[in-house]
Amino acid sequence: MPYYIGDVIKDEKRLIARTPEKFRETGIDVRIDARVEEVDSRAGAVRLADGTSLPYDVLVLGTGTTPLMPGIPGEDREGVFTLKKLDDAVRIKARLREVPCRKALIVGAGFIGMEMAEALRNLGIETSILHRGELPVNRWDPEFGKVILEELRIHQVEFVTGTETKAVAEGKSHGLSLATNHGDVEADLILMAVGVRPDAVLASQMGLPLGKTGAIQVNFSQMTPREGVYAVGDCAESFHRVSGRWVNIPLGDIANKQGRVAGRNIGGKAMVFPGIVGAQSFKVFDLEAAATGLDEREAALAGFHPASALIWGNAIAGSMPSNTKLGLKLIADRATGKLLGAQAVGRVGAVSRINTLSAALWAGMTLDDVGWLDLAYAPPVGPAWDPIHVAAQTLQRKL
Amino acid sequence: MGKGMAMGKNVVIIGAGAGGASVAAEARRGDPSLSISMIEQRSAVSVAA
Repeated sequence: MPYYIGDVIKDEKRLIARTPEKFRETGIDVRIDARVEEVDSRAGAVRLADGTSLPYDVLVLGTGTTPLMPGIPGEDREGVFTLKKLDDAVRIKARLREVPCRKALIVGAGFIGMEMAEALRNLGIETSILHRGELPVNRWDPEFGKVILEELRIHQVEFVTGTETKAVAEGKSHGLSLATNHGDVEADLILMAVGVRPDAVLASQMGLPLGKTGAIQVNFSQMTPREGVYAVGDCAESFHRVSGRWVNIPLGDIANKQGRVAGRNIGGKAMVFPGIVGAQSFKVFDLEAAATGLDEREAALAGFHPASALIWGNAIAGSMPSNTKLGLKLIADRATGKLLGAQAVGRVGAVSRINTLSAALWAGMTLDDVGWLDLAYAPPVGPAWDPIHVAAQTLQRKL
Repeated sequence: MGKGMAMGKNVVIIGAGAGGASVAAEARRGDPSLSISMIEQRSAVSVAA
C-alpha cells in the first residue's frame, strides 16, 4: 500500500487480489461494510450490527490487527492516519490530492514508517520520522540500523530520536501541530505507525484462549481449541520452527498460507501449516533490509546459547564495477552450531541471502552445512565465496 | 454434485483480508456444497498489501 500512496502503483484495483463480485460468482455470500456485533457460541450464530443472524457450523476468525495509537489528545483529528487496510491507503491518497501537503510526520520507525517515508519523499513531501528510540527498525542490529538511518538522511528524511508525542492540535502554517517533548512540530499529514496488535476482541468475547502474544491460539490445522472454530492470519499465532514457540508475526504471506490450510480442512481434506521461520524484509529507497529466524534476545529466551558474527562482504564479485557492500549477520547456538537467525542489509542481494538462509533454518542446518552450501556463482550475481559462506565460517571460528 | 442427501454445512468467515479470503476460496474449491458467508467491516476485500 505504501507503493500505491507513493504513486508507484497507480490504481488501487491492482491491490485487490479478488473482488467481492469474483467471490460471489463462486457462490460465496460476501458482505462488505458489515460489522459483527456478537458471536453466540451456544446457538452457533453470528449476529451482525444490522440485526441479521447467520447460523454457522464452522466459524473462521480472520479479524486481523488493530493499529496501535499513542493515546494522545487530538490523535483522531482529520489528517491523522494509520495505515492498515486499503481504505486507509485510499484515504491518505485522497488527502494528499485534496489538501496541499508540503510536510508529513511519521510517528514510529518500523516497516511501515520506512516504506511510507520513501513514498512521501517520492511525492516531493518534506518528511520527518519521529521515533522513541535512537535507530530505525530495532529488529536489526544497531550497525545495520545506522546504515538504514544513513539511507534516510541521504534522501532528506529527517529522523528525530528520543521523541515522545503529547498532543495533536490545529497548526498555523500547516493544518496540524504535533506537540512533543522536543516542542511543537507542524505538518499537513501525520501518520501514526507505532505498531499493531492482534484483533482478538471477538475471540475473547467467545472465551477462546489467547497466547502470550495476545493472538488467538490455534493448532497446526488452524483450529482453535473449540471444535469447528478456526483462526487465520494476523489475529492468530504461528508455530516458529526455530524457537519451537508460538509467535505472532502479522504478515500477508503467512495469512495466505494459514487461510489455505484452514480452507482445505474445512473443504474436507486434512492439511497442516508447518509453521514459519520469521522471514521478513522491506525496502527503503535504494536499500534492501531482510531478516529471518531469531535475534540474540529471542534465541536466549528460547533456551539457546547464542553467538553472532557480523560481516561486510561483496554483494557480487568484488572485481565487478557495480559491486556494493552487503552486511550479513548470523546468529547460531554455541552448543550445537545450529543456525538460529540472520539479518542482512545492502543495495542488492540482501533479500536473496536471507531467503537462502530461511531455507537453511527451515531444514535445521548447522553453520558447517551453511558454510559449504552450493550456491549459484557468477561474477555479476555473487562472489565465489558468498557472504553466506564467509559469515558462516567466521561465526564457526568464534564458537 | 454427487453428494447425495448431504446438505452443505454453513461456514461463516469473519474478515475478508488475506487470511479470510484464502479460506473462502480454498474451502469452496474443496467442497462445492458448503454454504459460505464472508463478513468484512471495511468496503474492500482480499487486499494484496
